[in-house]
Amino acid sequence: MPLYLPIAELSMNVFVVLGMGGIVGFLSGVFGVGGGFLMTPLLIFAGVPPAVAVATQSNQITAASVSGALAHWRRGGVDAKMGAVLIVGGALGAFFGAQIFTYLRSLGQVDLMISLAYVVFLGSVGGLMFWESVRAIMWQRRGYVPPRKPREERHKAWIHALPFKMRFRKSHLFISALLPMAIGMFVGLLSAIMGVGGGFVMIPAMIYLLNMPTNVVIGTSLFQIIFVTALTTVFHSVNTQTVDIFLAVLLLPGAVIGAQIGARIGFKLKGEQMRALLALMVLLVCVKMGLGLVLEPRELYSVADIEELGGSH
Amino acid sequence: MVRFAAFLLLAMGAFSGAAEALVTDLSNRRIEIRYSFAGADLILFGAVGTTPINAQDETYDVVIVVRGPEAPAVIRRKDRVGGIWVNNETAAFPSAPGYYAVASSRPLEEIAAPTVFAAYGIGFNNLPLVAAGPRGLVAPDPHFRSALFRLRSEEGLYRQEQDNVSLVSEGLFRTDVHLPANVPVGEFIVETFIFQDGSLKARNRINLTVDKEGFERAAYTFAHHYPFLYGITAVLVALCAGWLAGISSRK
Repeated sequence: MPLYLPIAELSMNVFVVLGMGGIVGFLSGVFGVGGGFLMTPLLIFAGVPPAVAVATQSNQITAASVSGALAHWRRGGVDAKMGAVLIVGGALGAFFGAQIFTYLRSLGQVDLMISLAYVVFLGSVGGLMFWESVRAIMWQRRGYVPPRKPREERHKAWIHALPFKMRFRKSHLFISALLPMAIGMFVGLLSAIMGVGGGFVMIPAMIYLLNMPTNVVIGTSLFQIIFVTALTTVFHSVNTQTVDIFLAVLLLPGAVIGAQIGARIGFKLKGEQMRALLALMVLLVCVKMGLGLVLEPRELYSVADIEELGGSH
Repeated sequence: MVRFAAFLLLAMGAFSGAAEALVTDLSNRRIEIRYSFAGADLILFGAVGTTPINAQDETYDVVIVVRGPEAPAVIRRKDRVGGIWVNNETAAFPSAPGYYAVASSRPLEEIAAPTVFAAYGIGFNNLPLVAAGPRGLVAPDPHFRSALFRLRSEEGLYRQEQDNVSLVSEGLFRTDVHLPANVPVGEFIVETFIFQDGSLKARNRINLTVDKEGFERAAYTFAHHYPFLYGITAVLVALCAGWLAGISSRK
């Protein structure tokens, strides 16, 4: 059943869209990740213009994060003060990201930027994750248990030297607001140019840099993601009119149902094996994106119409 | 100059013929793009009528040109820069038809000489396209010009030497007009040319409107005219949909 998407300006089969939502939802359920970094490339591979894929995905992530964030909020798993600082940074990052996005779109280079960003981030995150999980599996086989560093030792000295210190009660932290703000800003930037929530950067940063207790990490990250992706959606709507509400809403049911099924399977997998699998998947998307940049395209020419030129409306 | 000559011809045709000259019509003069729009096929039919030719016993040819709304188009070419393929050179066409189709009763080269088609601007190669250069408008690089034709042909937006005009019986003809799903919205011009012995005998034009209708039109207009409100709406819809999805999946 074809469905005409008024903003993407193309017809897509409804079941294909529902299915894509389901597949990505399933994988995000299995691995406990947001899935934005899988959905945006999948939409691009399916023929959605990259700019529309990125902007629409921001909208989709807002929807996909609501129920999770609410659940964590009820459980007390959200550090609202930390979240607010992350959001301030995220808003700035998303604003600049959307500006860069708009400028590069007028130059015809936004697709290149999206691909490069994916190759660099997925390559480095996937590579690190793969190495870390393989090492953990090997240690486990040899029966080696790495000594756990005390919390004070893990917390780097330079972090305590930063000014504008703030107390975050829920996270039991007294640190400079600059650090979470910078993390939020970086994540906001990624959200605007890659169509991701940014959990894959924010969660490690919260654990290893901020040293937040793990019981508030996911809730606070979801809390920040809702606000920042919402802002990104508005920025992209205003700047480039590339947000397709219909596409975003259609992706949702599959994503929600897929995530439920995926989560059940995810519980049965071992942590290290799961991370190694996720890392391989991340690297696979990275390689597919990278090949698109390196291999000679079948058609060297492309045509852009008035809307992509930021022309008159 | 071409236009003036064409006008003269048209005027002469109108004076020499009776009231019932060449007439054409479409099965649908207004196409509405709805949510299930997957393209449209129209039937154009026409009658030669009392034109300078006698359709009863003489042979003639019909050429039909459908032209969509003009809009700027930019062609970009990828080049290898530092190992990766990057959009490099560009050609900007300030005005190019968003849809262009030529259908004829016989292959064009059998109907008339290339100069004749050039005079009436029939065929993609005879479209007066210009590109923006550093010092005003210039003739476009032929590579970019042919790329525009090739890319839009692949999208089904430019069609040439693909569709046939069938001559049904004395003085009656018909053809199919194929509009793909990605057809641009706006006013279309459908021009019919009657040729005999390599020269133009009659022509007429009718209009066709393609529009996004109903919900789709409203969404498109909303997104482009009130982008801030559209963005806020998108967020609210996402929040509600996400909340509802969360509730329903917990049951």
